[in-house]
Amino acid sequence: MRWLRIVHRMLLAVPVAAGVAVLAFFSLHLLPGDPVQIMLGDTNTSGATIKTLRHELHLDRPLHVQLTLFFAQLAHGDLGTSIVQHRPVAALIAEALPATIELTVATVAVAVLIAVPMGLLSALRPRSWVDRAVLSTSLLGASMPAFWFGLLLILFFAVNARLLPTSGQIDPAIAVPPVTGFLLIDGVLARSGAAVASTLRHLVLPSLTLGVVFAAVLARTVRSSMMDVLHRRYVTTARAKGLPETAVVIKHALRNALIPALTVAGLQIGELLGGNMIVETVFAWPGLGRLVVGSIFARDYLVVQAAVMLYAITYVAANLAVDVAYTVLDPRMEGA
Amino acid sequence: MIPAGAGPVRAGAMPFLYPVRRHGGRALSSLGRLAAGVAREPVGGAAAVVVLAYIAGAALAPVIAPYSPTAADLAARLAPPSPAHWFGTDALGRDVFSRTIYGARVSLLVGLLTVGLCVAIGTVLGMAGAYVRGWPDAAAARTVELLQAFPYLIFAVAMMAFLGPGFWNVIWALALKGWIEFYRLARGETLAQAGREYVEAARAMGYPASWILVSEILPNIANTVTVVALLRLGYFMVLEASLSFLGIGIPPGIPAWGSMISEGRNVLFIAWWVSTIPGLALLVLVLGVNLLGERIREILDPHTASE
Amino acid sequence: MAQRALVAAVAAVLGVALLGGTRGHAARALSFVLDTTPNRATEAQAIAAQLGGAGINAQVRVWQLSVLIPQIQAGQRAVYTTDWGSAYFDPYDLAVPKFVTKARGNFSFYSNAAVDHDMAVASGTPNEAQRRAAYLDAQRKIYGDAPWVFGYVLRNIEAESSAVSGWVPAADNSETMYPAAVRGADTITMGMRNDAIAPLDPGLPPNDREAVLRNIFDALVGHTPDGKVVPQLATSWRRVGPAAYDFALRPGVKFQNGDPVTADDVVFTFQRVLTPGAISGYSSTRKDLLGPILRVQKLDDSHVRFVYSATFPEALVLQSLVHFQIVPQKYVQQAGEGGFIAKPVGAGPFRFVRGALNSEIVLERYDGYWGGPAKVRQVIFRMLPEPSGRIAALLSGEVHVIQEVPPDLVDRLKTNPNVQVRTAEGTRSYEIEFNTKAEPFNDPRVRQALNYAVNWDPILRDIYHGYGTRLSTAFLPNGFGYDPALKPYPYDPAKARELLRQAGY
Repeated sequence: MRWLRIVHRMLLAVPVAAGVAVLAFFSLHLLPGDPVQIMLGDTNTSGATIKTLRHELHLDRPLHVQLTLFFAQLAHGDLGTSIVQHRPVAALIAEALPATIELTVATVAVAVLIAVPMGLLSALRPRSWVDRAVLSTSLLGASMPAFWFGLLLILFFAVNARLLPTSGQIDPAIAVPPVTGFLLIDGVLARSGAAVASTLRHLVLPSLTLGVVFAAVLARTVRSSMMDVLHRRYVTTARAKGLPETAVVIKHALRNALIPALTVAGLQIGELLGGNMIVETVFAWPGLGRLVVGSIFARDYLVVQAAVMLYAITYVAANLAVDVAYTVLDPRMEGA
Repeated sequence: MIPAGAGPVRAGAMPFLYPVRRHGGRALSSLGRLAAGVAREPVGGAAAVVVLAYIAGAALAPVIAPYSPTAADLAARLAPPSPAHWFGTDALGRDVFSRTIYGARVSLLVGLLTVGLCVAIGTVLGMAGAYVRGWPDAAAARTVELLQAFPYLIFAVAMMAFLGPGFWNVIWALALKGWIEFYRLARGETLAQAGREYVEAARAMGYPASWILVSEILPNIANTVTVVALLRLGYFMVLEASLSFLGIGIPPGIPAWGSMISEGRNVLFIAWWVSTIPGLALLVLVLGVNLLGERIREILDPHTASE
Repeated sequence: MAQRALVAAVAAVLGVALLGGTRGHAARALSFVLDTTPNRATEAQAIAAQLGGAGINAQVRVWQLSVLIPQIQAGQRAVYTTDWGSAYFDPYDLAVPKFVTKARGNFSFYSNAAVDHDMAVASGTPNEAQRRAAYLDAQRKIYGDAPWVFGYVLRNIEAESSAVSGWVPAADNSETMYPAAVRGADTITMGMRNDAIAPLDPGLPPNDREAVLRNIFDALVGHTPDGKVVPQLATSWRRVGPAAYDFALRPGVKFQNGDPVTADDVVFTFQRVLTPGAISGYSSTRKDLLGPILRVQKLDDSHVRFVYSATFPEALVLQSLVHFQIVPQKYVQQAGEGGFIAKPVGAGPFRFVRGALNSEIVLERYDGYWGGPAKVRQVIFRMLPEPSGRIAALLSGEVHVIQEVPPDLVDRLKTNPNVQVRTAEGTRSYEIEFNTKAEPFNDPRVRQALNYAVNWDPILRDIYHGYGTRLSTAFLPNGFGYDPALKPYPYDPAKARELLRQAGY
């Protein structure tokens, strides 16, 4: 029964992705602005040339024909060619996605490092000043406008103190042979300490910018699920058996309390991928968010459509993963 | 970018966000009791004072601000903080202090109006959907599924590209996705309430559905909706500032914190005050709103606030 | 319910306050919306404030360029800030597309048969004196018609680390790294203003792509930083008829893959641009930069002939050929268009090594370059679209040269002994255009009045720190046919009021 539901949910991703693509298609085509005109800028071009190019790009066809063409190509596994870049959309996304994933993973890591100790401390001493401080601090993080925080971090750590690089993903003078596209992994594969160090240094400020905000959400989840778990019978039993409090907290309580926290992290992945956009702009991070925003402004329809489909699938997949994790890890969810 | 409550949420997954009510609603009888409850606790009290100060500042901006927020003086541009200009001047020589005070109007108004719009759309659709069921409910559910799969900021950027910069355009761009949270909330709560005795009783007595929804169910879910609305208020303010930061939000004729930060980032190294001051103003207001929202939830929904 | 009432009450109070605070005053004044883009929002607001002082009510509205331009083209906007860059150092690529009736850049819907005639003469006669006379006449007419509030040209402000030598900023923003050297290093890193530059295909529209392209590719002729034409792959040329030119190719030049540069490659390069659908099924958009070209033909292995359908002045032929980098026929055909874009090969001083969409492009010295190897071993172009990010990267030593320094930051950079600010005369006209087909700006008196009412001096002095030069029309001081005797409209509010009064305001 449970597996049937999972399969059903997986299949649900198809109509959602298609629906999102259609929605993106129409809203983009309704935007004022023509990709050919934008691409040309102030290149002196005759009307005839523009007409030819629009024809070649199918931009002169009725909207429903363009949409049909898109889905026909999609059925063959082809996401189309970028109007602006003249390259396959799939290749553009494959180039930008690893950077965004790397930043997202680093963000989650930073958030966990900040949030778990904070949530733990506060759950162990509920209603104490520590708890109050943690709750207020986490709200401070949640209230932080990330783009502004990023600017301040650049000003202090990169420009004034010169401890960290201002922007980018790696020192561009370091050549890393692309294997996976993930710079950190490729750096390790190439056994290049310099590449790994440079990648990590470049990750610090952007992941801190995003991580502080994300940690705020996470800390509160850790706190509340920890409080919940600490009153469960198995924890009480462990205490009664005379186990030291540290062991009780770490071995029994924390492990179980982390499940909801990870759930929150999982559910936020889609939003994180999209929310990266501004931070990617501030830090000149070559990721998907920047590609999408640039493509919206350039009316590079196919790139935007492919990217939002990817977001949609990520979203459905994250939800699904959380469901599966719950069903597998927590037998009480059975039949819920 | 991910303040508390961003993104997809389900009851159980984020217990601190979604008050799961186990009892019938008890709408507070008076504002006074709520205010007293807020004031009883120092952090909540302080937050309330901060938020009230911002509201007063925004409303009385013409009285408080020493300069017109739009009066340019190219001779005095990028002047550092001084007795004449407490927070310095920006790239057009406008007084940053005055602009920051006027900027509170935009943030507060956009936040409140967006939340109001979201609550209105979401609650009406959610309650109606839960009560009517059938295809309208299914259509709304499908729409919600689609909208949910868009990251909020990407959606808002695309909407703003479509609508163009403008005060109301920002509100619509945010509300067109923001309502789904209240839809889910209202729908779920209505479904839960619909099975209760008092609703059954009203139905048995032959009251029309609309009357039951408005007079019986709405008061019972009002508290929950209010709490979530308050917690979303700050998020909308940050989103508005993000759009203005990208240059596609509030048009520059109106002083807004996001565009002030954006204008200041090019001169960050020579005139830190231009973007730091409005950034701080935004941070403090959003923090105040969030703290206040927390406190009010503790009062209205003691079960979920802290175990 | 009580809480909701509170929220509603607060919203109402704020709403009333906001409306009360922004109430405008309008009697019988000239009133319009000044549409602008983010890069000129500050300037537009300063202008609106000036006009407000003169009793003209201008409201600034900021748009994304891609949204504003189609509305302008559809005639839906009235007054708008625009700019147009010239790739030619000749009005052929600036005044012609901006003022000729229905030309692509003519956003003011300006139409004057006499001006059209002058422009046709200037682009269709080989006689320099006649061309000059035609341009001078056109300038006077345009000045009087005032289809725009004529604006200014900005110097390109760039900056370099003091370790850099030999690098010179170019008027057209191209970044030529061939003569550059870095003390104590063999890599030069450049902070580019662009979000993305790829793909590096000389058949695609030039825009900012050429700043990088010209390091990988050579054309028949090139530009010095101040716009003079110099030989590259062609050593000499001559006019061989009313509309034909012969070019002799430099002997012994090899592409970076070792293939010789022959007349076949030159013919292929131009066929690729002229043949519809030749680039992966798409037509090149550079075609129209070539003027009235008919065909390019091979005379022998080292000579080609360009044949035009009408007289095309030599100056324009040469200026246009700067934009057509020669590509290797054999390599393009073997690698395919996709392979060529992925790894371009040219005959320029640097070979392409690697590059990512929106992060960086890495080039390496090509030791077989015909002019001798470059001084640096490696060139890196980093995409740093945020001005503050570029400045920070330069100050922290991450990059050696940066493009487009915001004028406000010049003084800050000047205080740093390790950094030098370098400028070059620009090739872009910035202006405010009117929709001359619609009320009230179809009345030349109103347009002239606004030319008198805008005081550019404080704007150029304070916002652009003196890096701007007023233009009397849209002819550039460094371009051909500029009339130095024609002075820009002076700031004269009294005259503006008088003209407006005559026009009924």
